[in-house]
Amino acid sequence: MSAVPLPAEAPTPSPAERKRALEELLRARRLQAQAPPLRGEDRRLPLVTGIAGVDALVGGGFPRGALSEVHGPASSGRTGVLLGLLTRATRGGALAALVDPLDRFDPASAAAAGMELARLLWLRGPRIAAEEASAKALADASAAVATLASSGLFDVVALDLVDAARERRRLPTATWLRLQRLVEGTTTAVVLVAEEHVACGPGGARLALEPVAPRWSGPPGPARLLGALAARARAGRHALRGADFALAAL
Amino acid sequence: MFGGLHSPRPLPEEGALAAVARTFTPRVEAPSPTPVLLDLSGLGRRWPTPQELGRALLDAAASRAIEAQAALAFSRATALVLARARPGLTVVPAGGEGAALAPLPLEHLDVGAERLSLLRRWGLRTIGDLARLSPVSLAARFGPEGPRLARLARGEDDGVFVPAPLPERFETTLELDWPVDGLEPLAFLLGRVLEPLCASLAARGAKASSLAVSLGLVDGTTHALSLRPAAPSGEARTWRTLVLLDLEAHPPRDAIVRVTARAEPTPVRAVQFSLLDPAQPSPERLAETMARLHAWTAEGRSGSPQLVDTHRPGAFAVSTFAPPPLPRGRRGEPPPFPRVALRAYRPPRLAHVELRGGAPSFVSAPGVRGAVAACAGPWRASGDWWDVAWSREEWDVLLALPRGPAPGGGLYRIFLDRLREEWFVEGELD
Repeated sequence: MSAVPLPAEAPTPSPAERKRALEELLRARRLQAQAPPLRGEDRRLPLVTGIAGVDALVGGGFPRGALSEVHGPASSGRTGVLLGLLTRATRGGALAALVDPLDRFDPASAAAAGMELARLLWLRGPRIAAEEASAKALADASAAVATLASSGLFDVVALDLVDAARERRRLPTATWLRLQRLVEGTTTAVVLVAEEHVACGPGGARLALEPVAPRWSGPPGPARLLGALAARARAGRHALRGADFALAAL
Repeated sequence: MFGGLHSPRPLPEEGALAAVARTFTPRVEAPSPTPVLLDLSGLGRRWPTPQELGRALLDAAASRAIEAQAALAFSRATALVLARARPGLTVVPAGGEGAALAPLPLEHLDVGAERLSLLRRWGLRTIGDLARLSPVSLAARFGPEGPRLARLARGEDDGVFVPAPLPERFETTLELDWPVDGLEPLAFLLGRVLEPLCASLAARGAKASSLAVSLGLVDGTTHALSLRPAAPSGEARTWRTLVLLDLEAHPPRDAIVRVTARAEPTPVRAVQFSLLDPAQPSPERLAETMARLHAWTAEGRSGSPQLVDTHRPGAFAVSTFAPPPLPRGRRGEPPPFPRVALRAYRPPRLAHVELRGGAPSFVSAPGVRGAVAACAGPWRASGDWWDVAWSREEWDVLLALPRGPAPGGGLYRIFLDRLREEWFVEGELD
């Protein structure tokens, strides 16, 4: 007489299995959260530069609908941070504009940063040998920023004011106030890049950069290369919060 | 009844014969400038007999200096063949198509040179000879084309009449009672001209790819402007803004007495958008924005930067800003970590550089001055020896600027032009 096997009970998952299942569930949820936003949703998120420390300092990215600024002395990484911002915007499918009254933008650097050059509108200043922009060039540039910001087409509109300190001071102070008013309520982030503080709207990010020291690939000699540019970023009205970052050389 | 109109002589202009035909009926088939085919149904009340109608056709052609010959028949094929073959006017009564065509040589039948030569080798000379052949035999030799040839030779129609649409002109003119000076009153008048124009375009499912505006001035001259934005538009408001912006930049020299706008139509393009991709910019708004930036666009100082296929430092091109959709899959790719960027001086600044041990020790140029604290180089490069040669020795230098911030000055890229033996500062590394 053969014994009839009893029906097997459903196995009770072990704690390790439960943990694994839970982790899988969490991973799935996280992946869901990382899925690309639907059409139109991404025009509400702040605009990131791709430098984690800097983005965290400005509250997750440069806010839309506000006037922000990045300032610092020579070789403090202002342009690198700006190109990072424009690259992230254009790679996300948005349009970006750069108003460049002194014609300093280098397309090769932007291409090396991975920018979608076809989605960048570059307004170049007149070809002048002088190292200072004229007052008219700056007035034209600020008018162009106003036109671009009010069009609603661009996610980022940047104005490069580096090397134009003297003429910039001759612009009416209301210029920046007007620009801030113009951009309020839109999905455009207006970013000023300068050597020193110019203007920052109430909801805008204010990023102050200072160079730390460049890193070289080795001791002085013929085979030496520039390795990276190290800098320190500070944010906020009183620049109390700070983060160090480094930009790799070209 | 159908009418064939043909001119054996060259026409004064390409569509002249079709234009004559359209003065009689809008139903005109004109696959080539000559002959043209007219659908004459319904014209009996104006011209009671076919002879009168035929003579009216020839008179209308003669009034436009066209030497024409016409044929009226109840079959399209007969009307066309007879119009080509017989001078003057030919009228074929109902049922007489085959008899009218029979004596004509085979050359008047549109059968192709190769087939014509074959039919001649068979001993056929006239259309009547072909009509007498059995369609079954012709089908055995020519396939489906055989019965068609037989029907053609008997003057029977194949297919349907396809009238050519009338070429439309989208043009509006407004004559003013009083001259208008200034852009503000003109803006209102432009609306009155452009809104019906855009409405007629929309009724045809079209947009305007370009707009030509002609302003008649008090002094008898004309101020003309032509606009062709990057994308077609059917919005009267957009066109009005573009016209006003152009007039702001190039104002007319006198008051305006007449406004004429002519649009070049283009079919509306339907685009399927994606649920996940970001919205593409509105072409109308983009065109309007670029027009507002005319001070920059007119001088070629705006556009999208483009790299060019060369090793020459600082080489790039600027193309018209017309952003294409982002390639599928490109959006998900993570971009590289931000890098150091060059702030280029255009043109490079002539510099005085002091050397120590073969390396730069002091740099002085407009806006850039200081002792070299550290440097990397030299990196030699040259090229374009077959064109405008260049050869340079490149250094990255860290300057301790006298008035610079505490940790040191700026980083600059300098180079020695080996052909001119001169130093330049190419830009700041930032």
